[in-house]
Amino acid sequence: MATQHSEISYAYRLFEGMQKDNLSYIYRGVFSQNITDGILTLTESNLDKSGEDSKIKKRVFTIMVEGLQNITRHQEMEESSDVKETGIFLIQDVDNRYYITTGNPILKRNIPNLTEQLNKINSLDNEELKNYYKRVLNDNIISDKGGAGLGLIEMARKSGNKLVYDFVDLNDNYSYFYLNTEISQNETEHSPEVHKATHALENIKVIHRLLNQEDVVLIFNGIFNQESLLNLLSIMENQMMEHNLNLKKKVFNIMVEMLQNIVKHGANSLDNNLNPGIFFINQKGKQYHLNTGNYIYKSEVENLKKKINYVNSLSMDELNTFYEKSLFNFQIDTSKEAGLGLIELRLKTNRKLTFEINDFNEKFSFFVLQTVVD
Amino acid sequence: MEKLIIEHTEDTPKVHFEPEIGIFSIEGRSLPENAVAFYNPILEWLKQYENTENKGFTFDFKLDYFNTASAKQITKLLIQLQQMTQKFDIKVNWHYYVEDADIMASGLRFAKLIKANIELLPYE
Repeated sequence: MATQHSEISYAYRLFEGMQKDNLSYIYRGVFSQNITDGILTLTESNLDKSGEDSKIKKRVFTIMVEGLQNITRHQEMEESSDVKETGIFLIQDVDNRYYITTGNPILKRNIPNLTEQLNKINSLDNEELKNYYKRVLNDNIISDKGGAGLGLIEMARKSGNKLVYDFVDLNDNYSYFYLNTEISQNETEHSPEVHKATHALENIKVIHRLLNQEDVVLIFNGIFNQESLLNLLSIMENQMMEHNLNLKKKVFNIMVEMLQNIVKHGANSLDNNLNPGIFFINQKGKQYHLNTGNYIYKSEVENLKKKINYVNSLSMDELNTFYEKSLFNFQIDTSKEAGLGLIELRLKTNRKLTFEINDFNEKFSFFVLQTVVD
Repeated sequence: MEKLIIEHTEDTPKVHFEPEIGIFSIEGRSLPENAVAFYNPILEWLKQYENTENKGFTFDFKLDYFNTASAKQITKLLIQLQQMTQKFDIKVNWHYYVEDADIMASGLRFAKLIKANIELLPYE
């Protein structure tokens, strides 16, 4: 149990770290068309929920599309058994700015050319960028080079800020390429200096290392509702495409129950009607570890502990009986509760549920729940 | 009696009750946030049907996934069907994809707990 415990603390540490940065969404893994679509839909619905200005939304969207296409393009071009690293995509909402960061392995021999392009783009002002875009577009049509930097120019134009980038050594042939774009939520405000974005990128590299360390394949930190649940499910379904049906269904099943737990029982420390929380999946060999973290009212802590400990104390036979009894217990039958979720989690995983409850303030606690599927 | 047709969505199944052509089916995935709200009209429809002088029917469940909140509502539907067997000749088909151990197991559980002439039917 010692390893499980430290993993749970890891979950809390990760959430704390991300909350501080107000990180909203990370995906780490292989990027397919379906996954890319899922990420776009998820972000769109989160932006809609936050009531973001449609102009800003459009800019965020364009930059995301270009960034995601960059990842998939490199993935195809540079696919090799030489490098196990997968791509990463993040969107953050910090201090009235959105930061969109992509990361992917690239061949070292492509670095000089890429650096030259990025520096060229960063040296131009808006008007110059517009002309440069036209010129590159024309050159492309003539030379048929395809792509060649248009995406990067478009990202710089739409953000109105400099592109911040970095390369990190992976091995003899590959480096990891990070690209960070900043979008001000305030129409007129652009940050003249890039130090903030550079600082954000340093944090992302730290978080990326943390994610690699625990093999986190999908992490979502944001508002939990039925819509984000459905989008996360579809991303995960695509990610697990090649697995056998019963494992896929188990993960699906458990994700639904864990995420709907947050939707239905999560409290909000800010006292609005949104449910903030964190969800992540890490892969340990053939196992999937699913983790959720959310606020709960302190007044509910004892009751929740009692419920989980009771479910944990039962043998599988007793659990089955308890499930059936609860299925027919129509005393508990509301839109919020059927009284089956925790029993189902324990039955489906065939393991005890691991959890941790930390004090947050005088009114709220933070509840971390972990399940293991194999 | 009026037919009841509810098209499927990303998180609710297709419901098709049409006595005139003998179709009673619920098909797809079911994981709504509010399962009570989704299943109540379906239950109400069946209760109304119970008071008519219609004939018996075959009821087809062909689900590929349901959450625990839906499990409870499906239990209520099956209890209603069980009660209706006193008046009508009812057969319940529980279809499951042949490799889907999960849906098969829940079919077995319902067949054990509810006396509504439930038959498990694998499909490929």
